Amino acid sequence: MVERPGVQLTGVHATSALGRGAEAQLAGVLAGVPAFGPVRRFDTGTRRVDAAATLPQVGGLADELAEAVEAACRAAGLDAARRARSALLLAVHGGSHVPRLAGDLAAGAGFPDVRTYTTACVSATSAVADAAALIRRGDVERAVVAAGYLVEPDQYALFDAGRALATDAAVRPFSAGRTGLLLGDGIAAVVLERADVARRPVADLLGWGRAGDAFHPCQPDPAGRGLSRAVTAALRRAGLAPEAVGYVNANATGTSHSDAAEAAALRTALGPAAARVPVSSTKALHGHALEASGLLELVVTVLALRHGKLPVNAGWLGPDPDCPLDVIRDAPRPAATGHALSLNAAFGGANTALLVGAP
Amino acid sequence: MSAGTPRPTPVVRAEAAWPEPGDGPPTPLPGFVHSAFNPLVAAVADRCLTRAYGRAPAPDGERVAVVLVSPTGDEASAARVRATVAEGGRPGPLFFFQSVPNSVAGHVAARWGLGGPVVCLAPAGDPRAAGLAEADLLLHDGDADAALLVLIERAPDDGGADSAVAVLLGGGDA
Repeated sequence: MVERPGVQLTGVHATSALGRGAEAQLAGVLAGVPAFGPVRRFDTGTRRVDAAATLPQVGGLADELAEAVEAACRAAGLDAARRARSALLLAVHGGSHVPRLAGDLAAGAGFPDVRTYTTACVSATSAVADAAALIRRGDVERAVVAAGYLVEPDQYALFDAGRALATDAAVRPFSAGRTGLLLGDGIAAVVLERADVARRPVADLLGWGRAGDAFHPCQPDPAGRGLSRAVTAALRRAGLAPEAVGYVNANATGTSHSDAAEAAALRTALGPAAARVPVSSTKALHGHALEASGLLELVVTVLALRHGKLPVNAGWLGPDPDCPLDVIRDAPRPAATGHALSLNAAFGGANTALLVGAP
Repeated sequence: MSAGTPRPTPVVRAEAAWPEPGDGPPTPLPGFVHSAFNPLVAAVADRCLTRAYGRAPAPDGERVAVVLVSPTGDEASAARVRATVAEGGRPGPLFFFQSVPNSVAGHVAARWGLGGPVVCLAPAGDPRAAGLAEADLLLHDGDADAALLVLIERAPDDGGADSAVAVLLGGGDA
């Protein structure tokens, strides 16, 4: 049997309301202070809620994406010659402008082509899984995944109309009294390389999994079956037992039924280990960056693992019996093992799990 | 991107289009409003899966992926929301639920019991090639044994309606 090549993350970059650059994300999540405030970018006068996590100074989506790709490539040492033989995968909200946005990003950054994912809140993580699969299949030695969402009036109005936004200006994942999510800016890019050609490894991408709930157009399966199967697939690819997982950066958006479904998924996939593994959702700090959320959270997870400290689950008010998990409260906790899961779920019952390890 | 080692090509288990001869507009889809995009996806997917399985649910559905390919997504709904917001209004809540193509993909997955990955793509180039490449990758990578590929073609600029093709792909022989 031919051994399958390893995949490593070699360049990571992210921007959110916590700041610009990967180190700002790490500092922000370890400080544990949520970045939410009143929305200044556009008028929210007719909305139920007035809160989001936005950067005060931000460029257009195209410029921010280009800057993120350059920063990640620079960090990985991915020069023009290597980019010309690499894959580019992009995760953004769909629309008539998207094919041109994607094409311009690829051309400007020197990639031969681009695959664009509009799979809602698992867009970026689906792209990461596919990038790893392309490398492992031998299509390419390297791939860059970029993702972006900047809080804007249309999606904000839709989430407000759908009564999905938290009414108390705080995101409280897995907590009693949670009232919903809040949106946040997120721009991120990561470089993935086949391990034998990677020169600057940041983390190992050990496993990934994608699975559907087959349950409802926009509600999660209460039993979390799709997410559970995604976690199981990631563990299987990594060749790891549930006990090896030392941290879960959860999808948890602060939404009542969605967080409970995720807790059920973790119990199913991890068994007794689900009650012991430290869990937090950093969406309580940087907000929900929709199509980009999974990449921002992957960057945060990788950096926290390398640093050896796990970020808090901000906004905690008290336990919810439907979410019997070891939620990290009050202060960052030391990393128990060198392996972490980053989970994401989306409308359509789409779920992904990414399993990373400190190199 | 160059191919790695030679590998089996996925086989077409069923295929359908909308419209086919005799078709009018797709039937409205409960829970979805305003746009023909979502009814079109549901109609062409239903036709393809009915040809493959006879009726729902698909007996091997747990490892069937749904891959929805549309370069621009549901433009009619997005335009309606944009206009409503620009006027300071509140979009109807159903527009929230159909604001991403995942929702109708999830409708198809729930109706037919398809528990594989759900992936929506917006290619800059040939939609069919992009969709086939994604289905091929998912099958090769092992998170699915089959993939329902739905391709949405935009209406020509001189009028008419959008059209769609659905293809159920399974792992092929070497």
